[in-house]
Amino acid sequence: MRLLKIGLLVGALVAPLLASAVRAEPVTLDFWVAWDPTQADAKAAIGQIAEFEKTHPNIKIKTQTIAFDALHDKLTASVAAGQAPDLSWGLVEWLGELNRMNALADLTPCAAKWPERDNIYPNALQALTVDGKLLALPNYLGLRGLLYHEGQLKQAGVAAPPKTWAELIEAAQKIKQATGKFGFGIAGRGVRSPQELLMYLAQNDVEVAKRQSDGKYKNDWADNPGEMKHATEVFAFYRQMLDKNVIAPQAAGWGWEEEDTNFSLGQYAMVIDGAWMSGRAEQNPESMKDVRVVPPPAGLKSATFFEINPFFVYKSKHPEETWEFASFMLSHAFQSAVNPNRSPRTDVQGDEIWGKPFTSLTPIGVSFPPVALGSITRDMEESIGRVLLKNEEPASVAAWLGKAVNKSLRQTGEISTQ
Amino acid sequence: MVVSRSQSLFVASLTYATLAFFSFFCLFPFLWMLDTALKPAVEVMSDQPSFLIGAPTLQNFESVLFDSDFTLYFRNSLIVALASTLLTLSVSVFSSYALSRWERYPVSQAVGGALLVSQMIPGVLLLVPLYVLMQRLGLLSTYWALIVVYCTFMIPLVTFMLKGFFDGVPFELEEAAEMDGCSRVGFIWRILLPLSAPGVLATGAFAFIAAWNEFMFGYVLINDDSHRTLTPGIMLFKGSHQTDWGLLMAASVLAVAPVAIAFVYLQRFLVEGLSAGAVKG
Amino acid sequence: MAAVEHAVMAQPASESRRAARRQDHVRRIAILFLAPAAAFLLVLIAYPLCNVLWVSFRYANLVDPTTTGFAGFDNYATILSDEEFAPALWHTFTWTAFSVAGEYALGLTAAIALAQPIRGRAIFRGIVVVPWVIPIAIAGLNWIWLLNPDYGLINAWMVRLGLIAHPRDWLGGIDTALLAVTFVNVWRSFPFYTISLLAALQAVPRELHEAAAMDGAGPIRRFFVITMPHLKAVSLTLIFLHIIWTAINFDFMWVMTAGGPLNSSQTMPVMIYKYAMQDHDVGAACALASMSMGFMVTIFFAYYYGVRRKGAR
Repeated sequence: MRLLKIGLLVGALVAPLLASAVRAEPVTLDFWVAWDPTQADAKAAIGQIAEFEKTHPNIKIKTQTIAFDALHDKLTASVAAGQAPDLSWGLVEWLGELNRMNALADLTPCAAKWPERDNIYPNALQALTVDGKLLALPNYLGLRGLLYHEGQLKQAGVAAPPKTWAELIEAAQKIKQATGKFGFGIAGRGVRSPQELLMYLAQNDVEVAKRQSDGKYKNDWADNPGEMKHATEVFAFYRQMLDKNVIAPQAAGWGWEEEDTNFSLGQYAMVIDGAWMSGRAEQNPESMKDVRVVPPPAGLKSATFFEINPFFVYKSKHPEETWEFASFMLSHAFQSAVNPNRSPRTDVQGDEIWGKPFTSLTPIGVSFPPVALGSITRDMEESIGRVLLKNEEPASVAAWLGKAVNKSLRQTGEISTQ
Repeated sequence: MVVSRSQSLFVASLTYATLAFFSFFCLFPFLWMLDTALKPAVEVMSDQPSFLIGAPTLQNFESVLFDSDFTLYFRNSLIVALASTLLTLSVSVFSSYALSRWERYPVSQAVGGALLVSQMIPGVLLLVPLYVLMQRLGLLSTYWALIVVYCTFMIPLVTFMLKGFFDGVPFELEEAAEMDGCSRVGFIWRILLPLSAPGVLATGAFAFIAAWNEFMFGYVLINDDSHRTLTPGIMLFKGSHQTDWGLLMAASVLAVAPVAIAFVYLQRFLVEGLSAGAVKG
Repeated sequence: MAAVEHAVMAQPASESRRAARRQDHVRRIAILFLAPAAAFLLVLIAYPLCNVLWVSFRYANLVDPTTTGFAGFDNYATILSDEEFAPALWHTFTWTAFSVAGEYALGLTAAIALAQPIRGRAIFRGIVVVPWVIPIAIAGLNWIWLLNPDYGLINAWMVRLGLIAHPRDWLGGIDTALLAVTFVNVWRSFPFYTISLLAALQAVPRELHEAAAMDGAGPIRRFFVITMPHLKAVSLTLIFLHIIWTAINFDFMWVMTAGGPLNSSQTMPVMIYKYAMQDHDVGAACALASMSMGFMVTIFFAYYYGVRRKGAR
């Protein structure tokens, strides 16, 4: 009797495994995404994918949602276990690392025959090319502008949005006094914090790793006192934002979700953010009604983070079907439905509020250097924590980060000997 | 007991006050969880939180059940927990019978000692070799990986708990059954288990809850949604919906519900089983 | 068993042969019954443990199969020279000590309260056990929400009660993260102590209390002189078990803080995970795991020889 029960149980467990083996006819592609299923762009994408499955009955797309912060570890673990998905979302920061793990498919031959290729921004494709090989396709482009609640600024008597760091601090203090709410917000942890730090460094004319004459990279702050001074000023700026009540104290622990959500709900006045906030405007029409977009405040110069968000195509058992789906995601139909305001296609333009104000910032956009970034972004995130949470001296934090970047470049063999 | 009336009244009030405090302390987090799950987003994200709900809604529960992989994770947890509980009990009934009846044999002493020591081996120490082992066997992201690992960690504890109950069944019964021509396995199946049924049920429930609640191996050994169990699934859920606390709390309520129901039903057995184990251990 | 053997000795040769064969038969059955459990132990605990020790002396990388070779004590050196190692050790000690202390205190209090002869005991007993049955991942999530600095209930209450001036990010603060998780651990784990101690309390014979009361001993004195000694064996077992279970607990720390912020709540298990799954340095992870094993074994021997032996007197 018990044997029978055990037999039934084992049968029940094995049956699903057998069933999936029998149903081998349509090709199933695993697609790991990091979208928020409740947002408009995700819903549009899901709709488009359903359309694709209808027109391609031999291909099934199985999506799995994992947030950016967890996605990286899951991807590397599954690649190492030989269970990588067929496609996935990701960050361009991971391109170098995934390439070194030999996980990505070489898309150059497929792209050469691709009729739509000329409709993609060339620098978007360039950013995803390593050693002449195209290793990923652009998912969306993200430039960051200064978003602000016009109502809160008016209430505090701030006539125009700030154009420099000093004006930002001043405006935020006025807002705090007049409305009781904080004036600005940052992401102190998670994947967005190194992106913001890169932007502030660029605004103060500092690069985290500079290309040397031998084609490799190095952080030269220790050799160059002028650079070190500028880097120190950036960390001092972070500290000032905390000390002068420009940002809420808990912002040091905010990830991008908290930064975006709290701004959408009108909990604070200004943020440097991207065009995806249009989705928030649909979700929270009341509190987002008065949001306007202008270029971010400048330090020594104007700069903003230019994100070329990729989706990665892995060495798959079904390369043709995978390319079929990948190129579909870059088609005009898909892009205008899902990414109207941040498309890598030249023929998909955005609207007045959420399109042009961002795309016009392209000239001042900066990106991460094309090296394996794994521990560099972690160190950048930690440096923000050091200055905001541990209250370390900006100068020592800058020195520490410089050394950490070089250590990482040394470990991956990408450091310059110049 | 000879004690004054005012003294016993004082003790009783103090006891009630203490127990009231503990009840509040233990329960309010769940009440808040349920409360949040029933609120619309705008009330959840309020900087003046309160237990009162302006516009109660089931929207969060609907989103969890129909728009997410929650039911998939739930099913996976159910499969893994049931299978490992059954397998553990099957193996442990025999090993604890042996430890109970043949305690002095060298093989019993050896295995018994090893089981005792293994209870103290922390799972995280074995994380790396077990991960690599599963990788080499191609068992990553399968139910079997988890079932086998859970059994390994539960068999020692379950064996000792069952031994405690089996020890309570007198040896004479067994001799009588043998004289009636009953085989050993027959004895176990037809007499020993029914007599120890409350203890076996309690132990089984304990093992099920332990498997259901397990997090670390489920997080590391499974990379695939279709085999992911509930506890790591909830954590990934949190990652995807960092700020949608209404949704997260609805998922939590649904994840806790079966354990809570099972617990209410088995509460008496569980507590008695644990107490018996504690006093004997 | 001894009686049977005596009986065997007294019988004629053929019967003693039969008895010997029967004993062999029984011994074989014992081995058969114990074999499955032993198999699990060997394959999935003994082998991996030896493997951990073995790999700790070799270079190994989770994603790069070309990393091999004998490392000697290199991996141990990597761990010991990691500036996060000593803090992780300290955090593990703090987290374990405060957790077990808090759990014992709360557990004992609840047990004493539940041992009193009052109405509705069974209901209260059921309520008190609830936190322990909930999955750690859910409990962690629930408390993250309660402790949220922007919208959380705890901060709102503390501000309203005047305990703090404005909301604090308990899980995001370097000084408070570890203690916050410790508190949640105490909340979740104390019921286990309560149930065990309650069973022991109820086993204390009433006559002892009555006799002492008649001799004029007050309740507090009675507690210390009569009740506590009866609780000693159970308490020591509980505490010892929980020291080990707490020190090696990965789930709570990972779900609530992932060792952060800035490694201020990193304990040994979290560090092992990070070495293996994020840095992919399997050799170093095994070295750290072996060191943890060493600590556990030391504690076990301290308990076994120090406490058990003395208690057996």
